[in-house]
Amino acid sequence: MQIALYGLMCVLLIPFVFPTWWMLTSSVKPISDIFAFPPDLWPRRFDWTTYAKVFELQPFGQQYWNSAYIAAIVTAGTMIFSSMAGYAFARIKFPGSNFLFTVVLLGLLIPSEVTIVPLFQMFLGWGMINTHWPLILVPIFGAPSVFATFVMRQFFIALPGELEEAARVDGLGRFKIFWIIALPLAKPALGAVAIFTFLHSWNLYLEPIVFISSRNMFTLPQALTQFTDAYGGAMWNIQMAAATMTALPVLAVFIIAQKQFVEGLAHTGLKG
Amino acid sequence: MAPVTLHHVKKNYGDVAVIHGVDIDIADGEFVVLVGPSGCGKSTLLRMIAGLETISDGEVSIGARVVNDLDPKDRDIAMVFQNYALYPHMTVATNMGFSLEHRGASKAEIAERVKWAADILGLVPLLDRYPRQLSGGQRQRVAMGRAIVRNPQVFLFDEPLSNLDAKLRVVMRGEIKSLHQRLGVTTVYVTHDQVEAMTMADKIVVMNGGKVEQIGKPLDLYDRPANQFVAGFIGSPAMNFVGGKITPNGFEAAGTTLPLPAGVTGGNAVYGIRPEHFELATDGLPATVLLVEPMGSETQVTMTLSEHKVIGVFRERVQAQSGSTITVRPNLAHVHLFDAATGSRIN
Amino acid sequence: MTTATTPRKRPFWTIERRDAIAGYTFVAPQLIGTVVFVLIPLGLVFWYSLHEWNVLANSFNFVGDANYQLLLRDPQLPRVLTASAIFSAGLAVLNMSLALLLAVLLDQKLRGIVVFRTLFFSPVVVSLVAWTIVWSFLLQNNGGINGFLQMIGIQGPNWLREPGTAMVSVIVVQVFKNVGLNMILFLAALQGVPKELYEAARVDGASAWKQFRRITVPMISPTILLTSIITIVGSLQVFAQIAVLTQGGPGVSTTVLVYYLYQQAFQFHYFGYGSTLSILLFLIVAVLTFVQWQLRKRIVFYEN
Ligand SMILES: Nc1ncnc2c1ncn2[C@@H]1O[C@H](COP(=O)(O)OP(=O)(O)O)[C@@H](O)[C@H]1O
Ligand SMILES: [Mg+2]
Repeated sequence: MQIALYGLMCVLLIPFVFPTWWMLTSSVKPISDIFAFPPDLWPRRFDWTTYAKVFELQPFGQQYWNSAYIAAIVTAGTMIFSSMAGYAFARIKFPGSNFLFTVVLLGLLIPSEVTIVPLFQMFLGWGMINTHWPLILVPIFGAPSVFATFVMRQFFIALPGELEEAARVDGLGRFKIFWIIALPLAKPALGAVAIFTFLHSWNLYLEPIVFISSRNMFTLPQALTQFTDAYGGAMWNIQMAAATMTALPVLAVFIIAQKQFVEGLAHTGLKG
Repeated sequence: MAPVTLHHVKKNYGDVAVIHGVDIDIADGEFVVLVGPSGCGKSTLLRMIAGLETISDGEVSIGARVVNDLDPKDRDIAMVFQNYALYPHMTVATNMGFSLEHRGASKAEIAERVKWAADILGLVPLLDRYPRQLSGGQRQRVAMGRAIVRNPQVFLFDEPLSNLDAKLRVVMRGEIKSLHQRLGVTTVYVTHDQVEAMTMADKIVVMNGGKVEQIGKPLDLYDRPANQFVAGFIGSPAMNFVGGKITPNGFEAAGTTLPLPAGVTGGNAVYGIRPEHFELATDGLPATVLLVEPMGSETQVTMTLSEHKVIGVFRERVQAQSGSTITVRPNLAHVHLFDAATGSRIN
Repeated sequence: MTTATTPRKRPFWTIERRDAIAGYTFVAPQLIGTVVFVLIPLGLVFWYSLHEWNVLANSFNFVGDANYQLLLRDPQLPRVLTASAIFSAGLAVLNMSLALLLAVLLDQKLRGIVVFRTLFFSPVVVSLVAWTIVWSFLLQNNGGINGFLQMIGIQGPNWLREPGTAMVSVIVVQVFKNVGLNMILFLAALQGVPKELYEAARVDGASAWKQFRRITVPMISPTILLTSIITIVGSLQVFAQIAVLTQGGPGVSTTVLVYYLYQQAFQFHYFGYGSTLSILLFLIVAVLTFVQWQLRKRIVFYEN
């Protein structure tokens, strides 16, 4: 029975792990072996120059930095703004709070795919086309951050009111209660928000291809599709090398911190 | 330390009035217990003293100051909450020193005060732990430590023992009491448990439905409850009540006549007698035994006087069977009579 | 009764007022941002949809509902909507059932189960475009998958270039990418079902399947609904996968609404008509979300 379960899971695993394996191995195959038959699970010859070529064909280091710093700003910004708003909507009584919460929540219904045309016009008007501003501002305030606000609010609603009252008696004002008491206790929820937000920014594709046109400004998803030869054919091994460099660091962080990762998402991510 | 005065204090939530004008004088250093059934407004009143609820009408003074418009932090009070409200992400020591830290005390001063409080409460070995690593009783003690560290004018407790098991509750009751005797700080303590009220208070305030029913020393409330509510609320097992009429022959209730103390007059009334004020007597009233519960030191007997179900508690060991008849006599010195309509005491 | 208290002058900065200021300050960045970058653009998109607007020709003329008339007559649109529906439905069904299966498997008390959980989840954290490119590579006519198939004597199709298999490929690639997320949510829900319920059912002699149907599914139904909302709404936004794998082809067989909207607005520069398609997308998202929230109220049994 146990053996059968293990067997079943191993078979099911194939489509989940094999692509990553194929990416890793193909990234070091010479181009002539890339479509070899029968397919090689282990490269018969190694060609490590693919990695260097990634950097020759594209300003890949720059593009890497673009993706990384944009994701960092988006993640930090979303964490700050969504936890502030989530906290206020959950715990501060102020006139119109329900109405304003509904207004913010509307954002969930409006993914940036819907508003991409006017967003393009707005950023055009502000002279921000082919800059990173759209890739930062749209996620920080768009649907993903609205979702984050919702997650944070749900978390803060469950925070015992006595803690805040104790803090008030102890002499803290609103901002300090938020900063010293509520926020440190919200670490699991903040972690979930950070993961979602980071992945969203890291994966962003439509916005970059709409807003960014020069190679130095590209982000990784955009850059990955650029490794083609003069005839538009994909240079698969180089593309795999670029994909490996894009995927591996996040994958490594995930495997190291998988417990916090998975449990953070499971327990605070989506309690409705 | 300071006296606390509540003058005509009222609280409404929107249109709903939950506190209907309460006057209480609390002397400097006094231990006052607010007691009453759940939902009667005890916590609301306490929280108005703390500054955690706004005061709809009336005045709350601490010392010479009217504090209605002061923040909790400016009232110089400390509060112990029902669920302790320890900051989960801070150690015991940090929890205890937290308020001093945010009032700009120096590190040395904080350390000294925390040490002082930890010594008193036996918390020294726990100072580096986090709240989740403590038992319920230890958390309770840390919550108290946090309150005394600052040496406030007034301590406020809101049902601090309700999350502890029965045995620990008795222990902590004693500790809070001796802490009060040691520090002498004015204390307002909220509970729904009349035993806590009786054992701890210098003065009890019995509340019901957002009003004060009676204020007095524990034994005064016990011996001379001002009305039927207080009579029924204070004491366990509760006072027996029999409805009927005061006549020159005695107290006429359905199917029986109970003896009255000399000199009482009146009409329709409620006859109150505590269980321990029944005596076994050969010349008493016949009572049919329903249930006998021997406790060792005393025996509790549930019985009917005619159709009225009453409880008696006797020092003697009663050997009666269920269904048999015993004869009991109320101790006339301890009979309470209440007006049938208003519930106020008559005698 | 004693005399009424003399009225005191209340300070202006009452706790309520200070709290209100704090509340507005705290929500201001998110609120303003959402208004500027989401709600105003939604208004603009509607405004644009009433215009004939070709960026290349630099024309911007109010045309009333002409774009909506065009929408109704657009011969491509039925095919695009069909593709969207097939994609979303296929994705949702496959994703939800696979997620549930995996969650049930991972809920077994087996040694090393965490390793399996980690591996099943890992594609979620792999860069989306990287994942898609790898699959694109695997699904080439002479790519890895057909190579392996040929080894066991099967001539595989040209997955991404044949209408039947292109859609299946796109769906499958997306399912394996993200099913881990739903899997984890289901797993958490499964682990939240009180064990006594199963014990009671076993005492009553219920079979494993019956326990699953009668206890597990009803108990986790809130999670099932919530994840289905997220999955379906998310499927309507799938763009990168299509752009990388099939560019909407062959023909329009994988041209989902978002991709069509992108083509109209940014490849053909019809901003007016693109905006009309945006409105359509918005309405579909809104209606689906609304319907599913209503369903949630009706049929979910055990809300905590
Ligand atoms: N925020 C509130 N809004 C409306 N009614 C409230 C609120 N807080 C308490 N109450 C009501 O006030 C009454 C007194 O509550 P409370 O002081 O908590 O009672 P106690 O502590 O004596 O059990 C209750 O009837 C309760 O329902
Ligand atoms: Mg209470």
